[in-house]
Amino acid sequence: MRFILLTILVVLLVVFLGPLVPFWGLMIGIGLLSALILPTGFGGFMGGGLGMGFTWVGISIYLGLTSASALPDKMGELLGGVSGMTLVGVVGILGFLLGGFSGLSGVLFRKMIKPSPRNIYRG
Amino acid sequence: MKFLSFILVFLMTVALAIVISIPLGQIPPIAPLLDPNHGFWQNTLSEDQLAKEEISLKNLSAPVEVVYDENLIPHIFAQNEEDLYRAQGYVTAQHRLWQMEFQTMAAAGRISEIVGPMALDLDRMTRRKGLAFGAELGLKYLQEKDPETLALVEAYADGVNQYIAQLNNARLPVEYKILNYRPEPWSAFKSLLLLKYMSDMLVGDRDLEFTNLKAILGESKLNKLFPEFPKDNDPVIEASRVWDFTPIAITRPDSIAYPMEQLIASPLPQPVEGVGSNNWAVAGKKTKNGNPILANDPHLSLNLPSLWYSMQLTTPQHSVKGATLPGALGVISGFNENIAWGVTNATKDARDWYKIVFQDETRATYKYGNEWRPTQFRVEEIKVKGEATFLDTVVYTHYGPVVYDKSFRGDRQDTNFALKWTVHEGSNEQKTFILMNKAKNHADYNAALDHYAAPAQNFVFAAKNGDIALRIQGKFPLKWKGQGKYFMDGSNPKMEWQGYIPNSQNPSTLNPERGFVSSANQHPVDPSYPYYVFDNSYEHYRNRRINNSLREMEQITVEDMKNLQFDDYNLQAAEALPVMLRYLGEHKAGTPEAEKYLKELSDWNYKAAPNQKAQSLYSIWFAETAESVWRDLRSYDVPLVSPNSYQTIQLLTNSPKDSVFDIRNTEALETAEFHVRVGFDSLLVAMKKWEEEEGDYSWANYKKTTIQHLVPTFKSFSVSNIYTGGGSGIVNATGSRHGASWRMVVELGDEVEAYGIYPGGQSGNPGSKYYANFITKWANGEYLNFNLRTPDQTDGVLFKTSLK
Repeated sequence: MRFILLTILVVLLVVFLGPLVPFWGLMIGIGLLSALILPTGFGGFMGGGLGMGFTWVGISIYLGLTSASALPDKMGELLGGVSGMTLVGVVGILGFLLGGFSGLSGVLFRKMIKPSPRNIYRG
Repeated sequence: MKFLSFILVFLMTVALAIVISIPLGQIPPIAPLLDPNHGFWQNTLSEDQLAKEEISLKNLSAPVEVVYDENLIPHIFAQNEEDLYRAQGYVTAQHRLWQMEFQTMAAAGRISEIVGPMALDLDRMTRRKGLAFGAELGLKYLQEKDPETLALVEAYADGVNQYIAQLNNARLPVEYKILNYRPEPWSAFKSLLLLKYMSDMLVGDRDLEFTNLKAILGESKLNKLFPEFPKDNDPVIEASRVWDFTPIAITRPDSIAYPMEQLIASPLPQPVEGVGSNNWAVAGKKTKNGNPILANDPHLSLNLPSLWYSMQLTTPQHSVKGATLPGALGVISGFNENIAWGVTNATKDARDWYKIVFQDETRATYKYGNEWRPTQFRVEEIKVKGEATFLDTVVYTHYGPVVYDKSFRGDRQDTNFALKWTVHEGSNEQKTFILMNKAKNHADYNAALDHYAAPAQNFVFAAKNGDIALRIQGKFPLKWKGQGKYFMDGSNPKMEWQGYIPNSQNPSTLNPERGFVSSANQHPVDPSYPYYVFDNSYEHYRNRRINNSLREMEQITVEDMKNLQFDDYNLQAAEALPVMLRYLGEHKAGTPEAEKYLKELSDWNYKAAPNQKAQSLYSIWFAETAESVWRDLRSYDVPLVSPNSYQTIQLLTNSPKDSVFDIRNTEALETAEFHVRVGFDSLLVAMKKWEEEEGDYSWANYKKTTIQHLVPTFKSFSVSNIYTGGGSGIVNATGSRHGASWRMVVELGDEVEAYGIYPGGQSGNPGSKYYANFITKWANGEYLNFNLRTPDQTDGVLFKTSLK
């Protein structure tokens, strides 16, 4: 449940905050969201990763479709003779890694500062 | 444990973010480039998708309206000139910022800042030629003598800078993202530098090669192979022109000693062959509607983003439209409600070299007559990407900079020669265009040209009142016959230029009897002109084809002028091929390939159409024949220039048994026939290879016209293999890398009717649909409507923007 919530919030963050801040600003935002929601470590990684990766892929495809521009293919050729669609894939992987590690960092940060329960049997 | 886990993952996250934010070797930072919100994906949007109804532009005295037509051509409506040029700067930067800056970086010798040490040598050369030094003097000139123009140039710079200040990462041109740098502020200096850069592109000299040729051939043979006037001279100013002025007397020294006999060195980079232009104007008496018609097509390197940017610039006092140079104010080739004008390069040896003798190793003084004159040192600071700043000390004499010396290509034999060039003198070309844009008649045109120094241009003119004119304008030194053809002795004051030809004595014509004026980079005048005129690169074919056509034509229409601009007739082939076929005789007769090629050549109508195979065959055959003729001359291990195609054909046709055709190291006596046959053998070899590797040898496929991005390695931003005809020496001068960079035809009737096109698009963004959208039309010889627009006109509007 927390993983799904994190994924949705990351998508919203990337869509609305993305145009205003550089990618590392989004990473900080994802880390904070993840620390706030506190899913499992795996959930934080996947929530941040999928949220950012899919949103970056979505924006790239949306821009490519609405503009009908040949630039993605031209850039692909320039960056090593690949197609524009391959670049979309690269963007997805990049977004996934950046979002994923940010999400996991957030979860681990929260766990680190959260006080460990002590003497739980003593009440 | 928790702490360790966090630190480990956090460090990995930070490391990942850093690695993808920094350049790795030649690979640009990945994340800023691929980030869909800020990276190149944002450059997929075209200008109409990003249109805004209102943009804030400070320092305007009144709002400015910008109306974009369906081709993204902005029509700027301002209330005064200062607002107009501020808006021009802003709008040009919106669409061409990277190009503007890149070109001025190249002109300033600052490419190393962008691409690293690989450009250091190029930057040193650019700086040693003194372009920035010339622009500094130009700025000083404006500050001291023309603050009015300076205010306009500064308004333009302010417009550019306001755009740069508003620019976010998403809108940053994609080239900045790939090359990983950001735009710096624009300045008046940069606009002036751009005009100096044009001089560098258009001006060459062959002093080094002629110095060598003189030593090898002797003066009389040199003059035979390189006559100063051709047999078929059809000059810019009609030969019948009577020079009704008293020329200034020029003293020729009694004895002229040249400093060195034979030099081994590479010449300075020269303008690319084929860089040139056509322009003409026909009087109303030769046109169908009785109105003058003017045409202009400058031929330059074909590049993307295009060299030109079309605009209409309007104030309540004037309305001008045409081709602008991004970075410079006003329209460069265009028309207004009253007049039209166009430019071609007025080639004339504008650079001379003087041997400098320094007193000692310190180079603090140099010999001049009986004295030792002090030099000046200019330290060029060249920033190099990824390396320490490079300091280059250039010695300046009163002639100009010493380009090659012990610290720069010191192995050359022409070290310590100073370059004298009109570009190094304060001048005010920008004023010419500002005045020309609002000129109303021939007197205004002349007044505008009086401010123009370099690069010298043939300015064609036509006015609504029926006047047509042509004036060759530049700052031309007074030279004695032969001066500046060879390297000169800088210690001898008699070698100095003796002043300048007054503007009023520059060649010009107004309403000549023949009913037209024209220029195509040919000889400016006939031998009756009282001043010495020399250059090695004059055109011999386009001019004659244009003039022959205009002489014959009557009832001329705009359509006729468009057809003439796109004319593919190869006059050189028409003159040379019959002679070559005759000399070939039965050589190789009977071989199937030779028969096939000879049939195609014999059936040819001399049109260099894109589907013509004979044009490809002729171009190879003639080039190989000329190569064979001049192989002996080229075998000398020094830089030389061969006689041009025209002179080669003259010799082939009229003196086939001349000694120039005899090869030194053979016993036989070779004649023109021998070389034509050698050329044909080479053609067969070349065609066998071509047909095996490429197959089709139709002209378009053979010449492979390419419009190249300014960064040649960005191949996917270029457009290659364009299906179009024409070639060097043909009126439609489209070769493989150069050609008509702008075509314009204007009829000056009650309502001015104008058409224009250039090989590119209005947008500088390779992702925009307006980046290269004119190319197909241009390749087919089609035009866009370029009529003046009014602000309330609603047809064909793409979008409007108010600058407030």
